[in-house]
Amino acid sequence: MPGVIHCQGLRKIYGEGAAAFEAVRGVNFAVDEGEFVTLLGPSGCGKSTLLMLVGGLETLSGGSIQLGGTPVTGPRSETGIIFQDPMLLPWKSALDNVLFPIDMMRRPRAAYTARARELLQMMGLGEAIGKKPSQLSGGMRQRVSICRALIGDPNIMLMDEPFSALDAITRDELNVLMLDLWERYRKTALFVTHSIREAVLLSDRVLVMGGRPATIVEEVCIPFVRPRDFALTEAAEFNAICGHLRGRINEARRTQHATTIH
Amino acid sequence: MKEPGQALALEEPVALHLLVGRLGLAGHFSAVLLPIGLAVLVLLAWEFVVRWAKVPEAILPPPSAVFDQLAQHYRLILKHALPTTLETLLAFGISIPLGVLLAAMMTWSPVLNKAIYPNVVLFQLIPKIALAPLFIVWLGIGLPSRVTFSIFISFFPILVATAAGLQSLPRDMLRLCRSVGATDWQVLLSVRFPSALPFLFSGMKVAVTLAIIGIVVGEFIASQEGLGYLILFASSRQQTDLSLACILVLCAVGLMLYGAVVLCERVFKHWFGDQ
Repeated sequence: MPGVIHCQGLRKIYGEGAAAFEAVRGVNFAVDEGEFVTLLGPSGCGKSTLLMLVGGLETLSGGSIQLGGTPVTGPRSETGIIFQDPMLLPWKSALDNVLFPIDMMRRPRAAYTARARELLQMMGLGEAIGKKPSQLSGGMRQRVSICRALIGDPNIMLMDEPFSALDAITRDELNVLMLDLWERYRKTALFVTHSIREAVLLSDRVLVMGGRPATIVEEVCIPFVRPRDFALTEAAEFNAICGHLRGRINEARRTQHATTIH
Repeated sequence: MKEPGQALALEEPVALHLLVGRLGLAGHFSAVLLPIGLAVLVLLAWEFVVRWAKVPEAILPPPSAVFDQLAQHYRLILKHALPTTLETLLAFGISIPLGVLLAAMMTWSPVLNKAIYPNVVLFQLIPKIALAPLFIVWLGIGLPSRVTFSIFISFFPILVATAAGLQSLPRDMLRLCRSVGATDWQVLLSVRFPSALPFLFSGMKVAVTLAIIGIVVGEFIASQEGLGYLILFASSRQQTDLSLACILVLCAVGLMLYGAVVLCERVFKHWFGDQ
């Protein structure tokens, strides 16, 4: 299965000697083909580090990661990445930004132009195809970056707090868009956020991270059937799950403080 | 209760402001008319004080005498302005690729970066104009020594600005490039270079003013032509009015070159998608 993520005993140490800092230790998890899994935790807890390890953009200090059964040794073209900042090139139009990975991979641009236009249309950016990032709103820019991540038809999507920099209303809007996107494409997704509500709304499974060095302290399956919509956030069961996760995050923080004081 | 007329009279500055605003002159008024007005006032004061105090013309001629010289000798002055302008353009034109190339090398190789950058900073601290006579010793009294000296002082801002631009890529942008399999060369050409262009333009604006200084200093030291030569020649004969007329033309040349760079920058920013 090309979209399966398998992580075993992950460890990441930054720096050397006395300045060495262990960010992540003893992390085990797997993501099934087509499953949407979220790494949830407070800022600076190492969840982004974990995502970059899976993307082959940071080197492991220990353990192993396999994507589709083969070990990760570096970045792969079958993973699409979305960052908190859309990271669009200001001099390129929305269309050219979406085609940027194709240009870098030296694939024939003509073969992908139709797909790029289709993706932008689907994201409600039909009018913006020829516009430059400075002419687009923050939410529109992030949608362009989602199209860019999808252009090469990746098996796995890695998302590093993609909606954290947006205002609350735009964020809700893009959450709904992400749900629709998942109905359509069903990619394997590893999503990082510190928003509990966002995690529960989007995911099939939530992994709570905490501790120092960070590890997975809780795993919660989200039982709601798909397709989901935003009304779900009003449901009692939804809020009960959010409450449970909030409790686990706070607990992890308390024990973390206790160990730091030692 | 105030009468409408009375209110207007009392708040005259406000009324004037409103009037100016309504005519769409507010921006022009403050941005263009104010500095020009001040300059005219200073020139008038200069003219008046010099005449009133009977300052000798060789010490400080009135502005009218300077304009008079400009009108009388404009052929001579323009004849000398031409080599100064062309040599400045030549020096500026060479310092751009030179600065960009060195900046690219520094970005490409961390070893080169470590080797070059501290030296560049140290070189910045040298009063480079003090080295001008040495260029005459090394390259003779012709155009090559003037142009080389001018390049020597004008390529630094380009190098430093471009290097800063090339190395200013956000970490996630670099990660994005790596995730799509871009090679270092592709990142340099397709991402770093275009991102560095706004920085390059900032460097060019400084460099163009330094380039003209370099040429004029070169002309001061050893030359038979150019505005620097003419200024020195006129001063030695106590023709201060002619000197000032040359300096006026020099300012105009400098402004023109600077303006040309700013114009290029505008055109570029339109393409770049101004942020």
